[in-house]
Amino acid sequence: MDIGIIIAGLLTLAIFSFLYRDNPVYKMAESLLIGVSIGYFLVITWDNTLRANLFDPLFTGGEIDLLIPFGLGLLMFGRFSSKTSALSRIPIAVLIGSGAGVAIPAMLGARTLAQMSATVQPLLTESGWLNVSGLVVLVGVLCTLAYFYFSREHQGTLGRVAKTGTWFLMIFFGTTFGYTVMSRMSTLIGRVEFLLSDFLKLTN
Amino acid sequence: MKQLQQRHYVFIGLALVVIVTMLLPYRPEIVPSAETRRMHEYIDSLPEGSVLLISFDHEASSLPEIKPLALALLRHAFSKRLKLIGIALLPEGTGVGYGLMREAAREYDMSYGEDFVYLGFRPQYVAAILSMGESIPETFPEDYLGQAYDQLPMLNGIENYDDLACVISVADGSLTTHWVEYGHARYRVKVSAFVAASMVTTYDPYLASGQIYAMVSGLRGAAEYEKLIGIGGSGARGMLAQTSMHLYVILMIIIGNLIYFRQKQRGRG
Amino acid sequence: MRRRVPQLVCGLFGLLIFTLHFLTSDQAHRTYRLILDDYYQIVFAFALLVGVVSFIRVNLKAVERGKDRPYRIVSLLGLLLMPVLAMGWGIGGDSPFLWVFDNVQVPMQATVFALLAFYVASASFRGFRARSLPATVLLLSALLTLLSRSDLGGFMAEYITPVADWVRYNPSMSARRAILIGIGLGSLTTSLRVILGIERTWLGGGK
Repeated sequence: MDIGIIIAGLLTLAIFSFLYRDNPVYKMAESLLIGVSIGYFLVITWDNTLRANLFDPLFTGGEIDLLIPFGLGLLMFGRFSSKTSALSRIPIAVLIGSGAGVAIPAMLGARTLAQMSATVQPLLTESGWLNVSGLVVLVGVLCTLAYFYFSREHQGTLGRVAKTGTWFLMIFFGTTFGYTVMSRMSTLIGRVEFLLSDFLKLTN
Repeated sequence: MKQLQQRHYVFIGLALVVIVTMLLPYRPEIVPSAETRRMHEYIDSLPEGSVLLISFDHEASSLPEIKPLALALLRHAFSKRLKLIGIALLPEGTGVGYGLMREAAREYDMSYGEDFVYLGFRPQYVAAILSMGESIPETFPEDYLGQAYDQLPMLNGIENYDDLACVISVADGSLTTHWVEYGHARYRVKVSAFVAASMVTTYDPYLASGQIYAMVSGLRGAAEYEKLIGIGGSGARGMLAQTSMHLYVILMIIIGNLIYFRQKQRGRG
Repeated sequence: MRRRVPQLVCGLFGLLIFTLHFLTSDQAHRTYRLILDDYYQIVFAFALLVGVVSFIRVNLKAVERGKDRPYRIVSLLGLLLMPVLAMGWGIGGDSPFLWVFDNVQVPMQATVFALLAFYVASASFRGFRARSLPATVLLLSALLTLLSRSDLGGFMAEYITPVADWVRYNPSMSARRAILIGIGLGSLTTSLRVILGIERTWLGGGK
């Protein structure tokens, strides 16, 4: 049998041992997982991004304008000393500022306005019947938004509308729970399939 | 030995259900949903040589669910002789995506650089998505293996999203949202998704508004897609177990509630 | 000064990239890409490296103190292993780097996630109770979804699945849409506050 499959199988069983209770075998496997994951992450970030987009163009391609982002990146390490920690705020400012700048048009146009526009549908279907589904969506969106409106106390009409919003939220949470169960079960099926077919060779 | 607790019995029950059903050879009849058929019809309608960008936006943790989905997509795309560009916006998706593309390419005798390429990972997904809209070669000057972009024949003439038929995000989290809100909104690139079942309700509003063109979800979606392309895979193999596990969870909910109401009645008595 | 300069940099970058979003000249597009590629992504990559360095420091300190020493050593060795393999044999094709990723990292990570299936089943038994009317609606909605995505054929396929699909695409979707709109508006105002210097919590404490 392939040594890789034996190792993967044993490590899979080590992780599953947590189901009984926390134990040293599980802890050892977990520690290995954490270390290997961070090592992998380091290599991919270094090789695919820093080397390809920064160090190669800067040191072999002579693109000296890259010295600025390089310098900003180095300032990040200022965090490790109390004397220099304030310097790390500058690259963080670049990240926060750029993030906020790109987010405004996206949040306004692609999210809020696009979703609001999709909520408003014709009240009658093409065959002339009342568009019940469209109406349910409209009522659902308005009532749920009312539920999240906290600038006024939820009393009177607002209270009733917000209460209706909670029913829609409950339906949404229930549906989401159902799909989450599906997802988790699928992951377990995948691991059991590996153990039964690749590791133990009980099925094809 | 420490005494088994209540939860251990629930665990043992679930383990038995999944093991027994996985050992049975029976495969339930799968009826593809309209959602899955829409994606299949779209890929089917693309002319030979069209370029798809497949973004592996997931962690390794969801691989058992993502692998059958991604393989079904890759097999269909390669069988239609479409050109594929692979990227990853999460580090772990990088290794997974590379492995899956190579696996599917081997089955269809596709050659690297001519029929598919793998560009690798870029951090900060919003910046990566927007930057690719401006220039893919400048965002990815090299592929995953370190070969220069202009040395890969398949990429000749591919500058930005205008040169792609569609972006397909294979995701287990909310990254597809960013493809929609940044890629589709600014550059009008068509976005479709193959997603873990847990993300279905997150993406429903985008699907309803047409911002996501088509979506295939979960192991069941993979099984449906496998049926449509006529190739068996992990999706179909897992369907009996999936159904049985759903029924097991339903049974647990019912038993839990029966106990709860009985205790409540006793309390009143 | 220690707060003013970062605040100014933040505002300038935010305003610049926001303005560039609406400009269509070639120069504007080039600058937009430059900021995203050369600044945003590269600085972000360094931020990730800071996390790695921090992890190494914390674990080395723990090894020194003797707390969970064997586990910490295994973590550090695992971390060291991957760059060594990558430097020695590369990261492509059938490299040892990918071999470790495929046979050590992926199976364990996927199994940790698979554990959740057991806890979901246990939580369904112990916590998913019809204690009130809203809780009952939540429960029924979940049951409907689970039944509709099971291959039971017959009555289920004919009647339950269409009902579940309607619930998913209409009342459930509308609640999610309202949440999205709420988050959208919240993110929008927070971004504006950050650029205008009203929101300063990201600067942390100190002068």
